[in-house]
Amino acid sequence: MNFIGLSTFVSREIGRMFRVWVQTLVTPWISALLYIFVFGEIVGSRIGDFAGVSYIDFVLPGLVMMNIIGSSFAHASSSVYFMKWIRSIDEILVAPLSYLEMILGFVIGGIVRGLVVGIGVYIVALLFTAATIDHLALFLLYSMSIAAVFSLLGMLVGLWAKSFEQLSLLNTFIIMPLTFLGGVFNSIHMLPEVMQKFTLINPFFYFVDGLRFAMIGIRESNVMGGAILIAVLVFGLGTLVWYLFKIGYRIKD
Amino acid sequence: MNEKALEIKNLKKEYGKNVAVNGISFDIKQGDFFGFLGPNGAGKTTTIKCITGIANFQGGAIKVFGIDVVKEYRDARKKIGLAPQEFNVDIFAKAKDIVWYMAGYYGIPTKERQAAVDKVLAKFEMTEHADKAFQELSGGLKRRVILARAMVHDPDLLILDEPTAGVDVELRRDLWRYLQEMNKAGKTILLTSHYLEEVSHLCNKIGIINDGKIAAIGELSDFVKDGKTLEDRYLEITAKENKK
Repeated sequence: MNFIGLSTFVSREIGRMFRVWVQTLVTPWISALLYIFVFGEIVGSRIGDFAGVSYIDFVLPGLVMMNIIGSSFAHASSSVYFMKWIRSIDEILVAPLSYLEMILGFVIGGIVRGLVVGIGVYIVALLFTAATIDHLALFLLYSMSIAAVFSLLGMLVGLWAKSFEQLSLLNTFIIMPLTFLGGVFNSIHMLPEVMQKFTLINPFFYFVDGLRFAMIGIRESNVMGGAILIAVLVFGLGTLVWYLFKIGYRIKD
Repeated sequence: MNEKALEIKNLKKEYGKNVAVNGISFDIKQGDFFGFLGPNGAGKTTTIKCITGIANFQGGAIKVFGIDVVKEYRDARKKIGLAPQEFNVDIFAKAKDIVWYMAGYYGIPTKERQAAVDKVLAKFEMTEHADKAFQELSGGLKRRVILARAMVHDPDLLILDEPTAGVDVELRRDLWRYLQEMNKAGKTILLTSHYLEEVSHLCNKIGIINDGKIAAIGELSDFVKDGKTLEDRYLEITAKENKK
């Protein structure tokens, strides 16, 4: 393992995140602040207790998850796409880095950005509520593994995309709708029966629910089932991305 | 010790139906300064991309110091430094960071890396421009960064694709001197250039590729003889090949 090469690549990825910190960090924090203020504080204060907790506490894990998903996906997809576009991907292709190390570099970069943004959202929420994290280790494990899933997904899109428009397609048509329909703002029991069935096959529901359990101890699904789903996704997507790097899909001539 | 720095056997590279490199074979011995010549689109850059891992190829084999560039790609790449024709860098990154990161990818520890980066930047008189973003540099300075990046890990095989395109006479002469020093110190160099005077001045061995095939290969003295310059011979060979 080329640890120096990998750590250099990771530091480059993290440096890139901080180079445009307004876009990568401040923008999602402001967006989360508005969500928390409007849905949590203004609307939430009229709802009262929700599944045994205040509405803002119920919504917060979903908001943290949304931001982790969005940030890790955006980081990996834009990094791969831009490196392809300006051909700086050649720098890592000619270097003595294995395909696994290249992938780990992007994924760790995505996880770091996802965590920094997600924890930032949590800190923003402390302005409005005494938000807790009941199971810190589970919170970190869930956050990191979901960030890994969406970093890998972002890499796939970054590899596949040939234009800026294509880069945003998956986020617009899949990730965003499934996140909103995955129980960020509501309990599954509030939904009509048909929608409940749909939610149960929506993987994002398990991501949100797992993090909600880690933060406030409330769950509506089997947390172990969610963990297995995430492990399968990390392995499956990781294998696919590794194979695409190995054959040089859209990165090699 | 493997005597050959580079061995290419029956290399074939296609882009769809277009055959860019058509079964070429040649060797470069350790310590050679090899001029790889050919018209635009002849297959020089494609061959370099196949050697360095930027392009896949459909047939043949490439070894660098006896190491297969596909099967043992990591070991092979440790031996190579590449200065490509195009500026393939993060244009927002500082000059020193571009070189620093590349040194890191090659596994140079932090303490030694700073010294290596400082040394190579000083060599190319880039110290005062080290903190500038790549996009703020002039064309000549950009070229220096690319060269510094290729050399920071002290590669045994240096591949330079049109390194002096668009640079001023001063840098060109400095680069010539530097490359000659490296070559004397035992480094093997593969150079592509459209400046045949430069190739004549630097290289001891010449290979000419035309239409994806090796048209001629040999010592410089095989080309420059009977009162003919390298340019005369180059034009003869490529014209003859084009008539076929």
